Amino acid sequence: MTHTLSRRALCISTAILSLAVTVPGLCGVAQAADGTIKLGLVAPMSGPNARYGAFSMRGAELAVKEINDAGGVDGQKIELYSADSQGTPVEGVSATRRLIDEDEVDFVIGDVSSSVTLAMQPVAEDAGVLLLNAASSNPKITYAAGVGGFKWTYRNYPTDENRAFVVAKYAAEQRGFTKFAVLSVDSDYGRSAIEFTKKYLPEFKGEILSEDYYKEGEVDFRSVLAKIRDSGAQAIIMYGLADTTPIIARQMIELGLAGKVTLIGNGEFNTEKTIKSAPTALEGAVEAAAWLPAWDSPESKAFVEKFTTTYDEAPNNHAYVHWDTVRLLAQAIHEAGGNDREKVREALSKIKYKSPVGEVTFDDHNQARLPMILLQIENGKPSIKGAYTAEIQYPAQ
Amino acid sequence: MSLADTAQQIRRRDLRLPLVAALLVVALAAPFIGSRYVTHSLIIALIFMLPAHGLNLLVGYTGLLSLAQAAFFGIGAYTAGLLAVHYGTPFYVNAAAAGLLAGACALPLGVPALRLRATSFVMCTLGFVIIGQAIAKNWISVTRGDMGLSAIPKPHFALGPLSFTVSGTTSFYYMALAIGALATLAVWMIVRSPAGRNMIAIRENETLAESLGVPTWRYKLIVFIISAVFAGVGGSLYAHYLTVVSPLTFQMYYSTTMLIIVLGGGAGTISGVVFGSLLFVGLTEALRITPELRMIAYGLCLLVLVFWFKKGFAPVINRFWDLIGGTK
Amino acid sequence: MFSTIIEQIVNGIVTGSVYAIVAVGMTMIFGVLRAINFAHGEYYMLGTFGAWFAVDYLGLSYEASIIVGVLSTIVVAYVVGRLVMQRMVGAPAEAGVLATLGIALVLQNTVILVFGGGYKFFSGGYIEPLSILGFSLAGQRILILVVCLPVFIGLEFMVTYSRMGKSMRAVSQNVECCEVVGIDVPKVVLHTFILGAALAALSGVLTAPVNVSVYGGMGELITFKTLPIIIMGGLGNVRGTFVAAMILGIAESLVATYVGLQFRDTVGFATLILMLMWRPYGLFSTQARF
Repeated sequence: MTHTLSRRALCISTAILSLAVTVPGLCGVAQAADGTIKLGLVAPMSGPNARYGAFSMRGAELAVKEINDAGGVDGQKIELYSADSQGTPVEGVSATRRLIDEDEVDFVIGDVSSSVTLAMQPVAEDAGVLLLNAASSNPKITYAAGVGGFKWTYRNYPTDENRAFVVAKYAAEQRGFTKFAVLSVDSDYGRSAIEFTKKYLPEFKGEILSEDYYKEGEVDFRSVLAKIRDSGAQAIIMYGLADTTPIIARQMIELGLAGKVTLIGNGEFNTEKTIKSAPTALEGAVEAAAWLPAWDSPESKAFVEKFTTTYDEAPNNHAYVHWDTVRLLAQAIHEAGGNDREKVREALSKIKYKSPVGEVTFDDHNQARLPMILLQIENGKPSIKGAYTAEIQYPAQ
Repeated sequence: MSLADTAQQIRRRDLRLPLVAALLVVALAAPFIGSRYVTHSLIIALIFMLPAHGLNLLVGYTGLLSLAQAAFFGIGAYTAGLLAVHYGTPFYVNAAAAGLLAGACALPLGVPALRLRATSFVMCTLGFVIIGQAIAKNWISVTRGDMGLSAIPKPHFALGPLSFTVSGTTSFYYMALAIGALATLAVWMIVRSPAGRNMIAIRENETLAESLGVPTWRYKLIVFIISAVFAGVGGSLYAHYLTVVSPLTFQMYYSTTMLIIVLGGGAGTISGVVFGSLLFVGLTEALRITPELRMIAYGLCLLVLVFWFKKGFAPVINRFWDLIGGTK
Repeated sequence: MFSTIIEQIVNGIVTGSVYAIVAVGMTMIFGVLRAINFAHGEYYMLGTFGAWFAVDYLGLSYEASIIVGVLSTIVVAYVVGRLVMQRMVGAPAEAGVLATLGIALVLQNTVILVFGGGYKFFSGGYIEPLSILGFSLAGQRILILVVCLPVFIGLEFMVTYSRMGKSMRAVSQNVECCEVVGIDVPKVVLHTFILGAALAALSGVLTAPVNVSVYGGMGELITFKTLPIIIMGGLGNVRGTFVAAMILGIAESLVATYVGLQFRDTVGFATLILMLMWRPYGLFSTQARF
């Protein structure tokens, strides 16, 4: 008999629980105070990419604070809501849904990881909410945006293609490298950057001698580095994670590669911390970045200073791009004359925004035309070699 | 309903049916009561309920602790995603193919794995998940490696002249609900059949079951395959709902999640799995502010379940319900 | 070409030594509890974090940080041992799997909650390369080799001759008989567990300088690597574990060089499944021994 009861009770409690799940939706409707712009930020705040999320959050926070302190956008204050994506598509979609449906944001900025952004695109499209990406580099995001399909997705970040081209060109033409070894992170970022490098290398008579991809969390690169040393490669093409750069650089010293083989690519080669961890291995390294703290412009310098005093830490690339994207959005809202989503979207397509690295406009795939900054480490300091913009060739639909 | 049903059991049916009906009504009305975000959370619960049902047949009814569900879930997700992206096949074809392929993979994996016992079996099934992930990452010509599959189209149906696409969150919810209800019914039928009783016999005492003429080896293999089919269908829903599939679909975390759903709800009961998936989603969303706390909570859940609540949290809620409801 | 192979084998032996010290604890715990400790890598992580904390926050030297790392892990292991591991005596195998998975989640995420999820850089240790027989190796790697051997010799002696070792072997043979003859089974379990966790922590602290990065999720990878080793070595077999760890270390190193770095982690699991199919009792013996 107790058995019978328990089954019945279980059904009832399940029903209650399912009700309990639905109830917050009933009462959780946020009342937007008039005159505020609700902005959502999706970023990995936990999990292995938490570090990027923290920088993104702070960058966006700083921009919002600056804008609000200056009186907001035409008198409207920006309110920032954040949600954690953990760097996984499921959580990213959940986070986006929550921002759109519970917090009722009008604009979403996010995510860092490309696979999360790709999953967020249809969600934003369905809801008719503007999705501004500030840090994912996978070209597919804008292949599918604008005239490609997703009207509501915009990206204010250079693609892997642009980056790969710039690095390959510089390494071949300015440094005269012809023999390359690949050591990149095993992710969409690392793999697609290499794919594009391969597309452009033949133009510069370069060849790839070996190709290896490391898993996130890999710590022992000795075998691969020894192989690269024996292969006679002149440079290692590395599109890697900021966290692994010091490990690889240190093991390069250990195996006697420092000073003989040059690191080229991207992976926060230019920060003081990284250079300090292995100065001899990083000397001469070539990196293409969307931005770097040493970029010489008064606005950029002011940002670095403000960020450092506020958070007691130097900003990185992710902090900058989110700071910049919030400002870009604020200008679009200003030009649209209010936070009407449709109008802001139109304003964004036509915008001529002056960012610290140059003027930003969007092409018909909603991809920002952005310069890529090329730098080389000289005497333990990043030295800027120029900024390059390349028009992206979209594959035929 | 067999002839052996006693008066008491008939009374039980009487009590239970209205409740299942009530639950269904709530489930059907949910998108109108709650916001789209709630509907979304319920979809996630339904997606994870499918592999959990399969796992429940393994753990709860046959007594085999497996961590391989995430591997079959991933196989299903990739199958459905690849079919939809390359061939644009209707959803029912994708879901069926996902289930069948997951089941077909389970056969060669299950034959050697099921010879192992206890811990060795657990390690072996864990190995399937890790190797599945490695294949998804490195078989780039098919899976696109870490770049994953993206822009998986919305599920569409094409039945003769009738053709429609499941576009919004609400319609997806109803589709997932229908599949979830069908799966629950299927599990119920399996468990109620003589085969279900044989499964329980294997769980309770394998040697005894064998000596009574139950072909234990064949049963275990078939249940392993069925559980993979459930996971595969769940994977196809996942692929269509999230529109992206990446090698991260194969991860230990999902296997652990499914275990928590089954054990938390109460292994060996069907309603337990339904309850468990709601509990899981509730916990996930409630602890959204601090994901680390969520993982710690999962860990503590496992410990508490193992040592104190061997039958899951459901009996506790029952007792609480008895107390306030005054039944008895 | 030939020297490359030798160099890779040397690399493999260094990696193998790290695995060996972690795996031997796991195999001993299996011996007394008949349960796989899925949280074993987390003690490796705890040791590393303890040492990192000592170096970065307390400003201690690397030598002192080894002690801090190992001691702090012992404290955690004592608590976990008392609350969880002792309960596992005589529990079904499934309980052990679930409980240790739970502990892994709790430990890993508590550390992430306290210290944050990002990578930390371990700055201590002897990272200057030394040249030996034409190979260039960081001093720290030589230290790992130098520590690994006495640890194993010591364990062999302890298991064979000491009272503790004898009771460990007895418990692994038959728990009920041990209770009859007056061996305090929970105490033996606790001591074995703490010893195993401390060895994992030691291994973590020794590798930290060459691996440079310290992060919450680092333990999981190590747990996964030790599973095939303890199966290959024969569950509960100290000497077998040592040989198995070397085999896996060298195999990984060769695969990383000649097949591709991305396949490195697959080696372990492919080995695990093959071993389970082919010789589930290990390479060396038909039954577990200490």
